[in-house]
Amino acid sequence: MESNFQTSAQWYDGHSAIRHQGEAVWDGADTLALRGPTGAMEVAIPDLEYSEERGGELVYRRTSEPNFRLILPADIPPGLASRLPEKQVYGAWVDKLGLGKASAIFAAVSVAAVALFLTAPDWLGPRVPESWERNLGDAMVGDFGNRLCHTPEGDAALAKLLDAVDPAEEQVRAGVANIDMVNAVALPGGQVLLFDGLVQDAKTPEELAGVLGHEVGHVRERHVMTALLRQFGMSILLSGANTSVGETVFGLAAMGYSRDAEREADEYARERMDESRISPLGTASFFERIGGEGEGEENAIIGWVSSHPDPAERAKAYREAAKGKTFVPVLSEEEFAAIKSMCEKDPDVEEFDFF
Amino acid sequence: MNTQYEQMEAESAFGFDGNWKDFARIALPNLLLTIVTLGIYRFWATTRERRYLWSHTRFVDERLEWTGTGKELFVGFLMVMLLFALPVFGLQFVSQALIMRGNEALGAALGILPIVAIFYLTGVARFRALRYRLSRTRWRGIRGGSNDQGLKYGLSYMWKTFVGYIPIGLLIPWSMTSLWNERWSKMSFGPYEFEANADPGNVFARFLLFYLAPFILFAGALIAGATGALAGYGIGGEEGASIGMFGAIIFLFLFFYLGLGLIAVAFYAKFYREVVGSTRWKDLHFSFEASTMDWVKLLIGDALIVVFTLGLGFVFLSYRHWKFLIVHLEAGGDILLDELTQSTTKTARHGEGLLDAFDIGAF
Repeated sequence: MESNFQTSAQWYDGHSAIRHQGEAVWDGADTLALRGPTGAMEVAIPDLEYSEERGGELVYRRTSEPNFRLILPADIPPGLASRLPEKQVYGAWVDKLGLGKASAIFAAVSVAAVALFLTAPDWLGPRVPESWERNLGDAMVGDFGNRLCHTPEGDAALAKLLDAVDPAEEQVRAGVANIDMVNAVALPGGQVLLFDGLVQDAKTPEELAGVLGHEVGHVRERHVMTALLRQFGMSILLSGANTSVGETVFGLAAMGYSRDAEREADEYARERMDESRISPLGTASFFERIGGEGEGEENAIIGWVSSHPDPAERAKAYREAAKGKTFVPVLSEEEFAAIKSMCEKDPDVEEFDFF
Repeated sequence: MNTQYEQMEAESAFGFDGNWKDFARIALPNLLLTIVTLGIYRFWATTRERRYLWSHTRFVDERLEWTGTGKELFVGFLMVMLLFALPVFGLQFVSQALIMRGNEALGAALGILPIVAIFYLTGVARFRALRYRLSRTRWRGIRGGSNDQGLKYGLSYMWKTFVGYIPIGLLIPWSMTSLWNERWSKMSFGPYEFEANADPGNVFARFLLFYLAPFILFAGALIAGATGALAGYGIGGEEGASIGMFGAIIFLFLFFYLGLGLIAVAFYAKFYREVVGSTRWKDLHFSFEASTMDWVKLLIGDALIVVFTLGLGFVFLSYRHWKFLIVHLEAGGDILLDELTQSTTKTARHGEGLLDAFDIGAF
């Protein structure tokens, strides 16, 4: 046999640490004969797998005996080299395509995946049946134990307020939460909560109607479901890059709406108020109170940073909606007072100590 | 059969002949591929790096070989996501729902459960990562491993760590050495088990530096404050004194963080010398010679490389740390190659999922 088909070789049988030294000779068919002073064996060439290159040597394994190692010099004679398995650098896919091409393909797939995850909630959210969202919401937040304020008069007044801004057959569930913060939230499952702090802050029932209408807008425009899906999608996407399980899991807790969603909810509220002939001026003065006047510039910055649009801008939109129209009061003095005293007069309401 | 017998005392038993330029040819494409795959390639990237580092590491007269695969690391990660992250997410959901419904106590208890589970699994993950690394490391075709699943070690990790902290942390050296001993005594390479009997007494003096630090710092504060104020007063009267004071406070902050960091490094340097030096394998004994100064140089080098490459240099840290480990690792004694037969331990099919998920380093 000519020297083109043989080379010096070292091998380990995989059972003991003893190194065998000698030569490897190709028999012209499918077998490589290993011969040395400490032992001889034959290896089927299709059984060989490329393992790695290390300091001027090539290492091969055997599929049938994973611990076997054959070590050949890197400059194997070409006749023999053409019979041995090919070298691998990055792993199967990248080697086949080349680094540049593979990177470009991976990047394109990644960008598509990110785009899909970012846009999917916007078209998927509104398509989730409302009954599913309601079940999900029930599972997530339930009935809040006994933390919502109830009095017969207050409940009646709140129902009247809700009728004005939520004409749908199956209405959202609205409640006043015993939390001393000027805020309101729309929760999964068509639950809307006005915080007692906001109720106390309100100067007119029209203000409450505006805020309630805004939150109902979030529910009706399916923003809640969209935000839930977006959070979920992001957490899945980030789990690839993010090694910390904790961050991924707990990141789900935070939710927010886009600025466009806030505008849509405002529009929804104005349309309903217009239909029910409720003055939007109360809501306008509410936004002016929470930071419209004298700090326009500062708020313009906050408006861009935070997800909510600038309050001054929102107040202006509500003021313009009032032009050239006449309105009727949404609630009587007594009814407004009944909502204001709901939390105070509810004998067994509990604190929201986890917010 | 002839007996091959290795005399080991002649030269360093461990050697490393990699160089950072070759490593860069692996690390930089890895970084690119990791970015364009949104991080998914990192399992294969880790594997390629280890292959390079292992294959350029010599033990006596033969190179090490890393036989782990990116696929098994990826599968390990997926399993952790499926078996741990998903249930934790569900539990979080249930716990929140319970709190919302007014069952605060039960909800809070369920909320604590994942924290306890993470504590337990951190211990299990440490054990299994070591087992995985040994089972994928080959030398002369022989590998290591362990038949222990590490579930009991997880419990030990919990109670020993807890007890270590109880007497104002005084038992931490004991919990650390004892866990090292427990972990390594369950590991084997080829047919022989490792033995480790590190003595916490030998690292305790260094550990006490942590308790001494506040007193040294207090004395330092008095001196620095007084000299700073006096120097300031000498230059610019009352106003100078307050400026001098301010300078002294800044100096003290630096002193505090650097001082505490230095104490931590001094402790870890001693700790690794002790635990590696107390670890044996058959007739082989190991030692780790890195001094506090070596560690300080390593860490300062790390920081400089990362800062001056605007962060890109972090890809070289694994290379630096491995080289540091191998350069300072020594072994002496005899290996009877005839008797060194293949390990019979079971090999886990999946990689370091748990360790990866909890972001715990190797050494």
